Amino acid sequence: MKSRLQTTRRTLLQGAAALGAGVAFLPRGLRAQASGPIRIAGLVPLTGGGGAFGPNMSLSQKTVVDEVNAAGGLLGRKVELITEDDQTNPEAGVRAARKLIDVDKVSAIMSVWASAVGTAVLPLCWENKVMMLAISAADTIAELPHQGYFVRTQPHTALQGEQFAKFAIDTGTKHLYVMMPQTPFTETVIKGITQICQSKNIKVTSMIYDAKKTSLRSEVDEMMRTTPDTLMIGGYQPDDIVLAKDVFRANYKGRVVGFAYGMTPQFVEGAGAEVTEGMYTIEPIPAAGSTAYGRLQKLLKKDALDTYTCQGYDHANLALLAIAQAKEASGTAIRDNIRKIGDPAGVKVDNAVDGIKLLAEGKKINYEGASGPCKFTDIGNIREVVFRLNQIKAGKILPA
Amino acid sequence: MSAQVLQLIVNGVVAGTILAVPAIGLSTIFAVLRFANFALAGHMAIGAFAGYVANAWLGLPAYVAILAAFAAAGIVGIVSDHFGLRPLRNYGALTLAIASIALNLVLENVLRFGFGNRPRDYAIKLVRDWTFGPIRIGPQQLENLAIAVAAMALIFLFLALTTTGKAMRAVADNPILADIKGIDPDRMARFANFIGMGLGGVGGMLVGLDTSVDPLVGFRALLSVFAAAVVGGLGSIPGAAIGGLFIGLAEELSLLALPASYKTAVGFLAILIMLTLRPRGILGERGL
Repeated sequence: MKSRLQTTRRTLLQGAAALGAGVAFLPRGLRAQASGPIRIAGLVPLTGGGGAFGPNMSLSQKTVVDEVNAAGGLLGRKVELITEDDQTNPEAGVRAARKLIDVDKVSAIMSVWASAVGTAVLPLCWENKVMMLAISAADTIAELPHQGYFVRTQPHTALQGEQFAKFAIDTGTKHLYVMMPQTPFTETVIKGITQICQSKNIKVTSMIYDAKKTSLRSEVDEMMRTTPDTLMIGGYQPDDIVLAKDVFRANYKGRVVGFAYGMTPQFVEGAGAEVTEGMYTIEPIPAAGSTAYGRLQKLLKKDALDTYTCQGYDHANLALLAIAQAKEASGTAIRDNIRKIGDPAGVKVDNAVDGIKLLAEGKKINYEGASGPCKFTDIGNIREVVFRLNQIKAGKILPA
Repeated sequence: MSAQVLQLIVNGVVAGTILAVPAIGLSTIFAVLRFANFALAGHMAIGAFAGYVANAWLGLPAYVAILAAFAAAGIVGIVSDHFGLRPLRNYGALTLAIASIALNLVLENVLRFGFGNRPRDYAIKLVRDWTFGPIRIGPQQLENLAIAVAAMALIFLFLALTTTGKAMRAVADNPILADIKGIDPDRMARFANFIGMGLGGVGGMLVGLDTSVDPLVGFRALLSVFAAAVVGGLGSIPGAAIGGLFIGLAEELSLLALPASYKTAVGFLAILIMLTLRPRGILGERGL
């Protein structure tokens, strides 16, 4: 019995080794996606702090994939979109990314939203040669050794921080108090704001709070003791609500400004119109005048689109056009071709179907998206972004 | 005592009293069933949503909404235990605790399926705080405090004066002896779940008043609630009340020495110290 068992084990090990070697020596294209559907993935926040945005991001990606499939697919194959919920949580994000990479064998992971999730998932992407098209704004993510497997359509946090400093200067602020939760971009934002504001003699005080707490009264007390005339609330939606309620109860009379991704219509609903009255939000805005934006409005049957819905749409278009340009469905192919589909000398396109046709005819294309021109620096940052200042009035977020 | 310390104590007492309500629920279930039921978080969310439906949709006042929160979470507590956890009763406390985490996910996702993920607010007008010299306190904080104290007082009276309450204490004290005396353990388990999860529901609504009503409203508070129950002594109701106050005060007063971003660590630290130095908690187990 013993010798039979040993033989069986040896045979099994030999078989496994042969199989492993066989897979290792397969051409890269075969190990990626050489047949069957082309798979791309949306790793979006359907729940948690970014839960307000994920469903629409996913919906806009689906419209792109549906259109491409209806027009005959890509490289003669169907396109399959796989959507996973990262729960706005890095641990859940990594688990979902592992499944997308190891089981689904996707070429691209799109619309990773929270910086903490982006930071955790990006190493998996570059190690497995999967392209990440992200939203995650922390400056540090683009500085990781990602070998080019990363681009983002959201302005990085240093750019966003500059907008808050500009707001403080424009409103004649004397003392700006910054309250932010611990995130991968908190320190960069605070540092950026402080540098600009101090050069204009604006005092900046900051506090990094614990976003998981159900009351931030004592933190607000500490802020009130320093009597700032402008308060920046820099959290995500759930903690922004807690903070806004406590700021209201404390009878704070100064200006309040925050990120638009935290101060959403749902934030207004959750905290109440009276509590949020007069608060400002700073928002990177989509290209509302672009043809891509108009197209997406029609596809989704919505009058106004938030920037993340537009970025989700652009991610799917960019990934599929890069595959069409490369004539190969792999993360490396997307990485090497994503900048080629933004050729200023090419024919301007606003959707994947038209772009795929033009590429098949051997023409150059220049994709201009719903969120903006979608041109990237060498480390993957977006080049051009427009910001807008909003103010909440009677429960509505309106341009200020 | 400086005004800052006094303000932190006021904030800590109010926060601690709110934590104490679900912590008592957790301890009640532990005392009778001998496992930590982490599905409390999901039941807190159910309570918060039941209160929301009663208050914002049906236009009922806050005190009726609190009763709705208690009843809904309590009933779901009996049902979810009957189908989700009771079949696993013989597999030990660890299996039950792990199963309760799974049950919690199910409950949160059922809420998400029914109500969506967006945060909601009660139809209760938020009012500015009152200021007494350097100290401020909110009318709503005082109401929360009163509701929490009333809930705790009622549960004490129930356990001390009623036959069912005494039977529950008997099961908590010595389940074998209680069984010999003819007390039905299944009936007591249902009562423990109804009261425990009902209190979780009240706690969920109280937390929801300060934050917002969404499926994760209970999960956000779970660590502090668990820390309160452990510090007070799992299974002890007076212990859970004292533990709640201890954690509330410790978290707020920690701001004097630590940056605000470490507040959650206070709960972890309290659990660690208590389990290392006095695993039975301040008042010890089985003090129901």
